[in-house]
Amino acid sequence: MRFVLRRLGFFVVTLWAAITLNFLIPRLMPGNAALAMMARYRGHINPQALHAIQIAFGVNNHQGLLASYFAYLGNIFRGRFGVSLTFFPDAVTHDVLQALPWTLALVGVTTILAFVLGTLIGLLAAWRRGGWLDGALPPIFVITSSFPYFWLALLAIWLFAIKLGWLPQSGGYDIKDNVAWTWGFAGDAAKHAILPAMTILITSIGAWILTMRNNTISVLAEDYIRMARAKGLHPWRIMWTYAGRNAILPNLVGFAMSLGFVVAGAILVEYVFNYPGVGWMFLQSVENQDYALMQALFLMIVVAVLTAILAADVATVALDPRTRDVR
Amino acid sequence: MSATSLGATDQLATPPTGPAPLVETVRHGRWSDLWRAISRNKKAVAGVLLLLVFIVLSIFPGQIAPYDGQAEIFQPALGVSRHHLLGTTAYGQDIFSQVVWGTRLSLMIALAVGGLATVLAVLVGVSAGYLGGATDGFLSLVTDVILVLPIFPLIIVIAAYEKNAGLLTLIVVLGVLGWSYGARQLRSQTLSLRTRDFLESARVRGERKSYVILYEILPTMTSLIVATFLGAALYAVLTAAGLQFIGLGDPNSQSWGTMLYWAENNEALSAGMPLWAIAPGVCIALLGAAFALLNYAFDEVSSPALRVRKLERTKLQKAKPTPAQPAPSETTGGPVLKVEDLSVAYATDAGPVIAVDHVDLELGRGEFLAIVGESGCGKSTLLYAIARLLGSPLPGEIVGGRVLFNGRDLVHLDEKELRRVRWRDLSVVMQSAMNALNPVLTVYQQMEDACRAHANWSKAEIEVRSREVLRLVSIDPVHLNSYPHQLSGGMRQRAMIAMALLFTPDLVIMDEPTSALDVVAQRSLMVQIKELQEQLRFAVVFVTHDMSLVSHFSDRLLVMYAGQVAELSQTKELFDRPLHPYSQGLLGAFPSIHGPKVRLVGIPGSPPDLAHPPAGCRFAPRCPHVEPRCTAAEVPLFSVNGSLVRCVLHEEVG
Repeated sequence: MRFVLRRLGFFVVTLWAAITLNFLIPRLMPGNAALAMMARYRGHINPQALHAIQIAFGVNNHQGLLASYFAYLGNIFRGRFGVSLTFFPDAVTHDVLQALPWTLALVGVTTILAFVLGTLIGLLAAWRRGGWLDGALPPIFVITSSFPYFWLALLAIWLFAIKLGWLPQSGGYDIKDNVAWTWGFAGDAAKHAILPAMTILITSIGAWILTMRNNTISVLAEDYIRMARAKGLHPWRIMWTYAGRNAILPNLVGFAMSLGFVVAGAILVEYVFNYPGVGWMFLQSVENQDYALMQALFLMIVVAVLTAILAADVATVALDPRTRDVR
Repeated sequence: MSATSLGATDQLATPPTGPAPLVETVRHGRWSDLWRAISRNKKAVAGVLLLLVFIVLSIFPGQIAPYDGQAEIFQPALGVSRHHLLGTTAYGQDIFSQVVWGTRLSLMIALAVGGLATVLAVLVGVSAGYLGGATDGFLSLVTDVILVLPIFPLIIVIAAYEKNAGLLTLIVVLGVLGWSYGARQLRSQTLSLRTRDFLESARVRGERKSYVILYEILPTMTSLIVATFLGAALYAVLTAAGLQFIGLGDPNSQSWGTMLYWAENNEALSAGMPLWAIAPGVCIALLGAAFALLNYAFDEVSSPALRVRKLERTKLQKAKPTPAQPAPSETTGGPVLKVEDLSVAYATDAGPVIAVDHVDLELGRGEFLAIVGESGCGKSTLLYAIARLLGSPLPGEIVGGRVLFNGRDLVHLDEKELRRVRWRDLSVVMQSAMNALNPVLTVYQQMEDACRAHANWSKAEIEVRSREVLRLVSIDPVHLNSYPHQLSGGMRQRAMIAMALLFTPDLVIMDEPTSALDVVAQRSLMVQIKELQEQLRFAVVFVTHDMSLVSHFSDRLLVMYAGQVAELSQTKELFDRPLHPYSQGLLGAFPSIHGPKVRLVGIPGSPPDLAHPPAGCRFAPRCPHVEPRCTAAEVPLFSVNGSLVRCVLHEEVG
């Protein structure tokens, strides 16, 4: 329990760091980007709305830096991120919440799938050391994991959508459809998700395979594996509860660390596919200089990553009894 | 480039003469060692070659590219031809020339970011690890926060505010945000080095901290530092390309990412200029792959366990099955274990090394046999050969002889048949229960899986039996639900013995089961083992390097030297009248509790390298009684009053 609490504390500290960066970056940039940003809003919206944004951003010419910082923190706490310029007059939170399910479904599911599959394949490759799986996989995946996600996405669109015409080339669903909970819509959304999902899967799975393979190889040299063999346990039992259970622990830590990489890739994949998720909207907001939306989406991404890491921590606690004891 | 073909790269590992440490790290991996290891690794060679190609391209683009990459002087969207190896862009630029010119910026970003991130990682990681305390706490927190912050979106945020961010900004931002992973690893490496002897001695010498860090710590971390650099460079290649692709770099710069940006804006793939998008992507992937391959190769070099040691099957022939003999009716009356002419070899780069050389021994029911000798004499290897626990993934293979257990030859049983014998009839107690017990399962779960593997017991029966065996070794059964790390060292060791007794086997093989304990705990555990053995009538083969430990417990003693039996006698006989000079030396190395005070004499020198054993008697180089005939020919075992001894001094008597 102590472990989880400590990780929760870390979650809060990191989130605070991200919020603070969000506040500081526009102010530290040469030419005070925050003021330039306000200038951009002026004339587009009525003074009342402008004032609201000023509060949301903590940009207020009458306040000192520290005072506006606390005002900013307060606004974030109450979920007041301001008004989106792109989707005026939507509140930013409204837009973010609209994009979130798409990304959770695409990136979330794919990442978990890549982790689970990669871990299994890595375990098998190490278990059958020197077999064809073990011989072929590492070189292949060392190379695929250095592919740029977006480039693979471009090729996938070209081949499967344009040349072969098997799958739609962009978007999250057919525009003719109504976004609703129907089978037809779900099937359409799934069809749109296949290509981006495969892109993320292929480029991200290599890392999990390689680290799991290497972890397992180290674990296989441990005395408890020899002991398990001496006990005459079934090989599957040894592979699963002796090798796998122990080798996955460092992989869970690795999961947390590599997540940033996956997120970066996923943002670009959404961008290439015009997939209506957080990443695509994030880049849209950058393009439209919609800073309020951009900041909110950035924080959204941070929260998503931190939540995933926390989940990995919880899994670690569940799988490793040593983390459960107060030390 | 398959992993199996990498076996020959492994000259850093010393030839194992016992169950060698499998995960050795290149502790004092100086540059020269590292370079030699790398130059023999195929992945590394591929990575270096790729990198060299790009370096050449980036230095001499003017000489290699036929045209100026930016000049819009040709017809747009030309196909592949002799003049345009990769065709032209929608703006009439030569794609091949653009790719060549683009190398410079991409490579420069990679190297600059790699360098900056490495310097920061070393500074932060090593200081945190070496200084410790509050400094460590703070630096580690900062490292961890930056590590999990999604850096790519953060860079986009920065780039969004600073539209005309130049190359320098990009490099600085990438470098400043990309050091954390390396710093974390360098910190833990430094932590593990901190207590090492060579650092302690530097501290005692009163060296300055900066000196210790620069000259003592950093050189030992070469491979980790290189890995940090390669990792950061790979990350920079991909991140910079991503940023340029979405138009966040200078759109007029010449780089692969920018090429992709323009290609995407002109829908190059569907508009008949596929190479415009494919070529720069391939280059990014190849440059990334160069760093990734090198990184992977470094991983392999610094932990040899990752490399597959190619067993030289040609030289190392497995023992041939001897014609099946009718299973003798010895199963009840005969010896429980009969080892005949057993030889074990390890495959090394220098060829096979015979670690156990034609060993014979016999063990009666309920007998206690101790095997003693210095480390590296092959005693543990013999033990694991008997238990058929050598081989994948551990090195070593039985190359000759038989191991008759209850009349059955274990050497030629397959894994499935072996499983039926294991634990029910033959169990093993290992040196350190901390390592031999699965850390993520409770004691009960580890007993349960053995029970389920061999008996059709109900849950209740398994629990009853588990409690019973724990009580046998005087552990409170509440500890059934404890994890190994929750028990004390002595308790863990006894729990492992309890586990070995689940089925009251005929033979328990023990590999220095007390060596992890303090002297008092050693004694009490020995007494307990002896009591259990007499009570339950199982036979024991007990390996130890501490002769005095077994003096009161073993029936017979087998002294091993350099893979061979040096002497085999009754324990009392051997202590009273050691025949082999090596046994005499070993006894001289241990104080006697009862006898008169004598000066302890050790044995000068160390056991021979088994890859090149000395001719004749293997002990000759260290023997005080050496004669010319010792080195003339192999010395056989002579029988002297019921003892066996491999020494020419006893030739006449035999």
